Amino acid sequence: MAEQVAARVSTPARARPRRRRSSTWVGWSFILPNFLGFATLTLVPVLASLALSFLDWDSYSTPRWVGLANFERMIHNETFWTALRNTAYYAVGHVPLTLVAALGFAVLLNQKLRAVRFFRTALFFPYITSLVAVAVVWNMLLSPDLGPVNQLLRAIGVDNPPGWTTSTTWAMPAVIMASVWRDLGYYMILYLAGLQTIPAELYEAAQVDGASGWQRFWHITVPSLRPTTFFVLIMLTISSFKVFDLVQVMTEGGPGRATLVLSQVIFREGITQGRFGYSSAISMVLFVIVLTVTLVQFRLQRRSER
Amino acid sequence: MKRHLISTLAATAALALLTACGGGGDAGQAADGPQTIKVALWNYATTPEFKALIDGFQSANPDIKVEPVDILADDYPQKVTTMLAGGDTTDVLTMKNVIDYSRFATRGQLLPLTDEAKKLDPAQYSGLNAYDLEGKYFALPYRQDFWVLYYNKTLLKQAGVPESKLQNLTWTDYATLAKSLTKGDGASKVYGAYQHTWRSVVEATAAAQTGGNLLGGDYGFFKDQYQLTLDLQKDGVLMPWATARSQKITYNTMFSTGKAALMPMGTWYAATLLADVKAGKTKVEWGVAPLPQRESGKATTFGSPTAFAVNKNSKHTDAAKKFVEYAASEAGATAVAKVGVTPSLQSQKILDTYFGLPGVPQDEVAKKAFKPGEVVLEMPVSDKSADIDQILTEEHELIMTGQKSLDAGLSEMSKRVKNEVG
Repeated sequence: MAEQVAARVSTPARARPRRRRSSTWVGWSFILPNFLGFATLTLVPVLASLALSFLDWDSYSTPRWVGLANFERMIHNETFWTALRNTAYYAVGHVPLTLVAALGFAVLLNQKLRAVRFFRTALFFPYITSLVAVAVVWNMLLSPDLGPVNQLLRAIGVDNPPGWTTSTTWAMPAVIMASVWRDLGYYMILYLAGLQTIPAELYEAAQVDGASGWQRFWHITVPSLRPTTFFVLIMLTISSFKVFDLVQVMTEGGPGRATLVLSQVIFREGITQGRFGYSSAISMVLFVIVLTVTLVQFRLQRRSER
Repeated sequence: MKRHLISTLAATAALALLTACGGGGDAGQAADGPQTIKVALWNYATTPEFKALIDGFQSANPDIKVEPVDILADDYPQKVTTMLAGGDTTDVLTMKNVIDYSRFATRGQLLPLTDEAKKLDPAQYSGLNAYDLEGKYFALPYRQDFWVLYYNKTLLKQAGVPESKLQNLTWTDYATLAKSLTKGDGASKVYGAYQHTWRSVVEATAAAQTGGNLLGGDYGFFKDQYQLTLDLQKDGVLMPWATARSQKITYNTMFSTGKAALMPMGTWYAATLLADVKAGKTKVEWGVAPLPQRESGKATTFGSPTAFAVNKNSKHTDAAKKFVEYAASEAGATAVAKVGVTPSLQSQKILDTYFGLPGVPQDEVAKKAFKPGEVVLEMPVSDKSADIDQILTEEHELIMTGQKSLDAGLSEMSKRVKNEVG
């Protein structure tokens, strides 16, 4: 009797950890392929890049430990500072403009308009278009003498329209314009999703209380969209600091160094010139900048929630 | 999007490394049996000189088989760098430019070919000097491109300009002629000349013809050539640099559609024109004249050679050397000339082969163009060349778009090269 009880009790006691262990293994095996991909293609290169930033390596000879020499060189390099300023300029232009445009169009296209689906698709279209095509088309539109934009400006009485991508003053605004046009569709979709979650009763109640359209937007829509705005802001900031492809195709960093951004310097120094150590050091700096900006945004968000 | 790009780059790098490492297991073959050598080259299907050389070599050496290792042209230097770093044994490496050559050679990746190079006659081999590294040679040139002046025969005839006038042009003559050839407006405008957006069109020309040093950090010698170009641009004789650049205009479009009457360009363009005319892609009637000069009577131009070298890790060094020597030999030069490419060996016999090709201009002006008095290297070889090239390119953009005055641009070039390249 006692033995039977003991056996009955001990059986599940022994089986439970085995089952738990095997389900752990099953779980691991599910994420393993994904993790392996992440590890070999992202984690290891990132760690290798960190190590490389302290080395002098041209992918040929034996790497040489140089300590902080790469960072020192960066501090004394004018091109690095120019690129850093340009990257900040791009972010300061691109983030707020895209955010405001995306929100504006989302609110507009959240109404019961005729052909609203057509307009939503039309605005989202640039985002799925090949970036090279976007850049080439914008270059044509902005061509200094024959481009439609400047022809229009001349027609409405602007005598000396800007040289856009061939002018050091206007090249960056031109790039920002093209990038806002391209990105706004994606963020508009995010905002549209956010708008659908706001209960209609809130607006009805406000209307009954006599709130104007602007008041409803400012006191209901904007606060209700705060989580979406936060997400959009983070995504936009990160992508702004990493901008590469659009600049590379539209202006190649020119004229001169007017639109040279950090990721282009990283590409040039590493891939073109073969200075992988120096290039890694710059990418580490870019990483730290993006991390800091993101953390600050999280901190501000938490404070405003309190 | 951007994450995508970075992971693609990383994957490509990883793959390149893997393939490079995989190449090491090749066992050495018996020296007298049939052998296979591998030759690293680019865009095999669209670069006819490689097939011409390989076919010619194989029929002269039936016991050696040549296997091309085809690499995308734009990735070529990077890919070969990675291959060599991984101990790859590809026997013959094409030296796409002299800057890469000096990098590979000074790091001991190439087999010395000094004895073989000393056998060649420097008077006949244009570009051989470029491979001289303190008396030692690690590659033999087989191809030499240099700059000439292409012209549109039809447009010249319409303007009543005899072609013989182009035989001894100075830059002042060129400017006058280009002005007289400019006509039309808007979409139907024909420019007297087209100068492509590359900085070399202005800068390497000035350096070659004034004896100026592109690495020197003092760029006053660019001034005349820039002034000439800027004046022509202001007069509407040249397509504005800013338009050409922002619209990514190709020089081939400008010349082959008859939008430009004169165009300074490298000899490689002749092969494109020959092929395009043959394929019916263009009907342009073209001729070549010597590059205009600062002083009448001289014939100085600039150019860059292409060469083959033997990988130090090669397991078939004798066969590989044979291939490199063949490419530099008269037989190799003839094979290259027959596909419309200018070989490094420029003896009278080879020139006759070249001018015997259907479609190649036969006249005296063309013959003079293909026999320049002196060909100066486009960019001198140094470990600083790449950095200086970047600075010169950036300042060239600012001068040509009028963002900086000529004097300010030139002094900024000098200042930046002195401060930033150390």
